Amino acid sequence: MKPAAVRALAGALAASMCAVLLSAGPGVWKEAPRKIALATGIPLIYHKDKASAMTVVGLFVPGGRAAVPDGLDGLAYLVTRLTLEIPDEGKVRDLMAQATRMTFMCEEDYSVVFIECLSENLEEALRVAGKIIQDPLMSGLRIGRGKELMELFAQAEEDDAVLAGGNAVLKAFFQGKGYGSSSYGSPASRKAIERKDVQAFFRRHFTSKNVLFAVISDLDLAPVQTLLEKYFAKVPEGERPEVAAAAPVLPAESDVRLTKETKQTYIARAYALPPPSPADHAKGFLVEVLTGNGPGSRLWGLRTSGRLAYNVDSRLTWTRNAGLLEAYLETENAKADRAAAALDGVLKEVWEKGVAEEEFAATKTMAKAFFLRSAETKAERTRLLGQLELLGLGFDHISGLFEAIDAVTLDDLNAYIRAVLDPGKALKITVGPGGAAAGQGG
Amino acid sequence: MDGKGLDQGFRRTARAVAAVLSVLALAALLGAGDEGRSFVLDNGIRVFLYEKRDLPLLHVVTGFDVGSKNEADGTSGIVHLLEHCVLFRGTTARAGEEVVADVRRHGAYFNAHTGQDLSVFEISVPAAEAAFALRNQRDILFDFAVTPEELDGEKAVILEELNQMEDDPRRNATDLVLQALFPGHPYGRSVYGRRETIEAAKVEDLLGFYRRYFVSGNCAMAVVGDFAAAEMERMIRDVFGPLPKAGPPAEAFLMAEPLKKSVSRRLEKDVEDGYLYLGFVAPDYNHDDQYAVNVLAEVLGRGINPLLPALIRSERDIVQTVDMAYLALRYGGAVVVSIRADPKDITVLERTAVNSLKRAQGESYSKKDFPGEAELFVFDYLESAKNQIRFAVGRSEESGLQLAGSLVRYMLLNTRENPGRYLDAIGRVDSADLRKAAGKYLAKGQWAAVSIVPKKGAK
Repeated sequence: MKPAAVRALAGALAASMCAVLLSAGPGVWKEAPRKIALATGIPLIYHKDKASAMTVVGLFVPGGRAAVPDGLDGLAYLVTRLTLEIPDEGKVRDLMAQATRMTFMCEEDYSVVFIECLSENLEEALRVAGKIIQDPLMSGLRIGRGKELMELFAQAEEDDAVLAGGNAVLKAFFQGKGYGSSSYGSPASRKAIERKDVQAFFRRHFTSKNVLFAVISDLDLAPVQTLLEKYFAKVPEGERPEVAAAAPVLPAESDVRLTKETKQTYIARAYALPPPSPADHAKGFLVEVLTGNGPGSRLWGLRTSGRLAYNVDSRLTWTRNAGLLEAYLETENAKADRAAAALDGVLKEVWEKGVAEEEFAATKTMAKAFFLRSAETKAERTRLLGQLELLGLGFDHISGLFEAIDAVTLDDLNAYIRAVLDPGKALKITVGPGGAAAGQGG
Repeated sequence: MDGKGLDQGFRRTARAVAAVLSVLALAALLGAGDEGRSFVLDNGIRVFLYEKRDLPLLHVVTGFDVGSKNEADGTSGIVHLLEHCVLFRGTTARAGEEVVADVRRHGAYFNAHTGQDLSVFEISVPAAEAAFALRNQRDILFDFAVTPEELDGEKAVILEELNQMEDDPRRNATDLVLQALFPGHPYGRSVYGRRETIEAAKVEDLLGFYRRYFVSGNCAMAVVGDFAAAEMERMIRDVFGPLPKAGPPAEAFLMAEPLKKSVSRRLEKDVEDGYLYLGFVAPDYNHDDQYAVNVLAEVLGRGINPLLPALIRSERDIVQTVDMAYLALRYGGAVVVSIRADPKDITVLERTAVNSLKRAQGESYSKKDFPGEAELFVFDYLESAKNQIRFAVGRSEESGLQLAGSLVRYMLLNTRENPGRYLDAIGRVDSADLRKAAGKYLAKGQWAAVSIVPKKGAK
């Protein structure tokens, strides 16, 4: 690099300060996602996207943690895991050679198996995946190995305060059952799960009347449809099981503390939100963005002027019957009391005074852009399409969300805030040193 | 990726060490002949434009050739502190709060990262806000101002970040293993810096670094997204073209030397799991061996069914997860192996894992290593790894911000005349190259080990 003379910086900032206009509706996407029924009866949500020569297939299985019987925490996770256990090493190697990846998640209302591959390898990926998912080997040995891994993953999760805090919120609002059960189970629940439980859960939920596909690919719909019909032709018809969607209940003891000898303390306030209708989904999302997402959020001041934290954020978890909003920060232990008071103060101010027009407009703009970025990659968008469908919002809410956000008025949002952010309805979560008030176990 | 950032809005899991170290040098995939357009402004700013029109988003990443390598012991952490202040503490025309409010009004994602080599600033906006994004970045990056009070505020944030990093066993172990791997070299200083340096930093210290390094000749910018290249070039010339021409003082850094003696460090913390991190000195960003090491990392420690866990398990079946990543820096590189296991097994695992890595120089990775019909019955790790790299490249093509970041790294770190396409070079790697790389960097090299285990007597 050659040194050179420095001249004065010319030009002042001339940025437009008007609100951003992002076109609503399907115009956001070059090609709107659509839904068809496969010949097998399984619905397929399909989105063509040429951004990469990759295909992501999501096989969504409604049920998830909501469907886990009492005392068998971890069952939904274990069953989903076993559907991906490839009994034949040769098949593993075939997939590995082509860089095809099969992963899974077990969420509140569903489990999902993802198959991600170079599109040129889609047929081989679906051939192998179809074979193992439709006829998984659920031997005692494999179940035992799965339980061992679950124990290890549960340990690792406890080493992350943000994850541990989020789990504690669900556990408290749902009394440790269903949505509130542990993904990986407890030592007792893992021990209690028997092979017959695993097989029964699989037979009940992995049926053609229950599951659905979401696919994003650079390929045309027709060849993808053909492959899915060919390689997933043996999903048993079965029935669509009814799984109750529990409503969250604020526990009598609303101050939950997990003891951890760390340098920072995680402090959160969590609120139950109404079920996700299109309008309430949009309002919940706006409150999440308003309170904690990105620079300039309400919590942001706790970082910049309050000097209380590096990490401030909000996180919104949806179930079919509610949303759970967490607003949180992580602070040096010595500042924990002050930070908790400041967090309460910020949230109380939002509740009492609501938002004004300018902040409302900025929040809408931020929410739309945030949503688009979150849906940029195929894997994340596939998850989103399936989730929206299974929440009852419909997959096309991925386009409709913009309209729903536009439809929210300032009065609507302030009324919503007034209803949901009542400090008297907040669950308090603390992870860190400082003793236990109502410990859930460290 | 260079290190860590101000990743508000990202989940902590996304900051796990695998993510920190796993992004390979993908930028060269967008070499000459693709749909990108590159040019250099008269003042020296290097620009790469890449049209990605699937979504109405625009991503601008601007990088400067300054990182922790440019610090000394007495200034350790100041580049990271400067990066924070530049991003959030305002300009001569706007206070930090105004910058943040403007960013929010325009729906922008706004972030920055400091690494050993580079400081990188990101903004991502709706495509219609291209003009705002460019002007905002020019303003914060080339017209920075900070008051002592604002600096004190950001120091408090940084110290909180240090606490958070030290509470996270993965980030903490990665930071420590990289320090241990480069003793006496600028890369041996933590990117996060030292508490006492951060606490003592003054405005003039920051401005000294700022004036020296945040200049046009030390800058590269990549724009990826929904725009027409000709119009975007015009806008960039309008916004950044008038900036003065200036380059940083010439600085020379020595290449990192191989570690002379293995080092091992053990920490006890309030964790449930056991964490073992092993580091080996590896080739730098421009070294011809980088491609073989990229592939080797995929073969041994990444993908669906990597070889390293199998090698370890052939001695002891005690590992939970294994990951291997290659961090290519301008003046050196590192291979970092991360292992999670039952805490009681961590001590024995260090030796077992090192032995397994040393055996990698004698492995057969390709079907071509086997004579006659034998090749029909073996797995081709080499081809698999190459496909996995193609897979990773495909994924990165979907993320505009990731693409732009890779391009900036390439523009600032590449010193080769015509390196060609990254995937072409990966395609030429053969099994002998992998054995040679394993012998050179894993078998003959010393290593740095950091383990984090639960405190004695803990539950």
